[in-house]
Amino acid sequence: MAVADPLAASSAVPAGEPPGGTAPTVVGRHDAFRRRLARLGWSFSAPALIVIAAVTIFPIVYSVIMSFSKVNVSGNGYSLNGLTLHNYSLVVNYGPWRYALVFTVLYTVVTVSIELVVGTAFALVLERMTRGRGLLMAILLIPWSLITVISAELWSYMYDQQYGIIDAIFRAVGLGSPSILGSAAPSIAALCVADIWKTTPFVAIIVLAGLVMLPRDVYEAAEVDGASGWTTFWKITFPLLRPTIALAVLFRVLQAFGLFDLPFVLTHGGPGFATTPLAILGYNVMFQDFLFGPGAAIATTTALLVVIGCLLFLKVFRAQVGSEIS
Amino acid sequence: MADITLEKVVKVYPNGFEAVKEVDLDVADGEFMVLVGPSGCGKTTLLRMVAGLEDISAGTMRIGGKVVNDLGPKERDIAMVFQNYALYPHMTVAENIGFALKLRKMPKAEIDRKVKEAADILGLTEWIDRKPGQLSGGQRQRVAMGRAIVREPSVFLMDEPLSNLDAKLRVQMRAEVSRIQRRLGVATVYVTHDQVEAMTMGDRVAVMRSGVIQQVDDPQTLYDRPCNMFVAAFIGSPAMNLYEATLEAGAGALRLGSQRIELPEAVRVARPTLAGYAGRAVVIGLRPEHLPAANERSDGNVIEGDVELVEALGNELQVHFSIDAERILAEGADNAGEVTLHHGEGVARVDTRSGMKPGSRGRFAVDTERMQFFDASDGLAIRE
Repeated sequence: MAVADPLAASSAVPAGEPPGGTAPTVVGRHDAFRRRLARLGWSFSAPALIVIAAVTIFPIVYSVIMSFSKVNVSGNGYSLNGLTLHNYSLVVNYGPWRYALVFTVLYTVVTVSIELVVGTAFALVLERMTRGRGLLMAILLIPWSLITVISAELWSYMYDQQYGIIDAIFRAVGLGSPSILGSAAPSIAALCVADIWKTTPFVAIIVLAGLVMLPRDVYEAAEVDGASGWTTFWKITFPLLRPTIALAVLFRVLQAFGLFDLPFVLTHGGPGFATTPLAILGYNVMFQDFLFGPGAAIATTTALLVVIGCLLFLKVFRAQVGSEIS
Repeated sequence: MADITLEKVVKVYPNGFEAVKEVDLDVADGEFMVLVGPSGCGKTTLLRMVAGLEDISAGTMRIGGKVVNDLGPKERDIAMVFQNYALYPHMTVAENIGFALKLRKMPKAEIDRKVKEAADILGLTEWIDRKPGQLSGGQRQRVAMGRAIVREPSVFLMDEPLSNLDAKLRVQMRAEVSRIQRRLGVATVYVTHDQVEAMTMGDRVAVMRSGVIQQVDDPQTLYDRPCNMFVAAFIGSPAMNLYEATLEAGAGALRLGSQRIELPEAVRVARPTLAGYAGRAVVIGLRPEHLPAANERSDGNVIEGDVELVEALGNELQVHFSIDAERILAEGADNAGEVTLHHGEGVARVDTRSGMKPGSRGRFAVDTERMQFFDASDGLAIRE
């Protein structure tokens, strides 16, 4: 029969028909074909995968190894000499690290919450606009599109005690001339304002994307059911937007937790350690104090905290909305 | 409960498109009114205007005698079932059904009671705690119905509520919706493009085309006495065979291509105006069931055609034939999923025992009493 004769088997499949008939030989050939295709795919992707491994995976792994190592730094470089937990105990008992941890968490919670509320409000307005929406979006996106270092410089001019506009406004309304970036609480507030100004548009755009995806007829059903605008927002829009808002929160938390460039330029982490987040602290410990081990430990703990935080968030979020996404 | 009155209602979109043109329509209290027509005829727009989801450009709309032109949906005391159900995806079946009652600040115990009652009527009790995403199409459809009936509104509005269901479920839900409507006795406007739904469900049916209501009548009248060629071709499946024919002088007979059909006295008496068309072209309409296979006893009026296709349906044969007369296609009426007809083609429903075969010459008895006549220039029926 055809199976025994390869020529007859091949002629059993009409020309132009895709492989994968019922005869066992054809199925076997199909599998081999797919394996060959998969190998080809991997070989094409290999260069990109190697680059990713070199620039992303290797540094992460190396920094984790370093955080558990005794690192000797000398004039000719550094060397890793055996494993230790000493770096972590140093970091955990380091006052500025504890402060930076609390600061980073609070900063993240405060800025992300405000950005979410203001960004959602912007998105709701944008969604309702029929005219000028594109223009307003373009204007809104300017802060987001500015390079952080540049916007930080702009804000530092504005906060300047001698010629800054904010200082001028304070004086005009009779609040004197506080040194905004010179004391702890005002400089933290100044940092938050600059961040919110820059990042709210990003949240607004994400929420707007979610809003326009919501089904129109559900709103019409709510209108027929007699829901007011306020009720519609809280009972329909907000619950349906939860997946989108979760996405925005996730993006923003990841960014805010890695906060670096804005305080680096605007406040230099000061006064004192007042505006030093974990990322700047790690950088300083590593590259100014040349404490590679503790620096790597700070980087590793920060990354771990972000991952744990995001996983927890996703878990809570899934439990809430999992069953709705059909 | 209330009646609905539309007086010269117009809808013009900002781009100038006139979707609804001076529509007059009365829906009596408790009546099931079906709006039917091909896609884009304005039926859904009209329904949404009744709902308050679309502004009324001109004219007057009354619900229960009250002018509602400037009232929003929630002030009109209506309930609507949407084509895609529009259920709240984040709420359970019970919450979906009870949402409107909750908004009215009805006590929780009463809401629960009403929701349970509605769920019982619709057979949803088992799924009361599920979310829409976990339900089948038919169940979602029921939830949408439940949401409408629990409100006890003055008016029900339904926008193609069965169009997303499979054929079998659609037939089942068709009966169910009719039953619920009769039980509640609430004025209902039901939009569909499916003429079978229209015929089986409506107390009266309004046939729409290009924003204009063509005819409003009970289904049987619509079928037997269509007011124009569009309605004649739209209602009925397979569609009515419309041919151009010439009325002989004296209006005693018709020339249909090379064939001749004699018109009995009764036909002429029933339509005195027909005499005025003597010597002119008219359009005649013959429903497929009024063209049975001719036999020896058939006297006189028989037309012959070439049988091209025979579809055996078990109880009858649908015979596609062609004759040498001009077939008329009413514009917009060809959406019933039928094959496009070509020159001279017609359909007859004949007895299975007639044994007609493709390629043979078929002989069909013409039921002249039930033949329809239309003015060839404006398409209006010649009924008197």
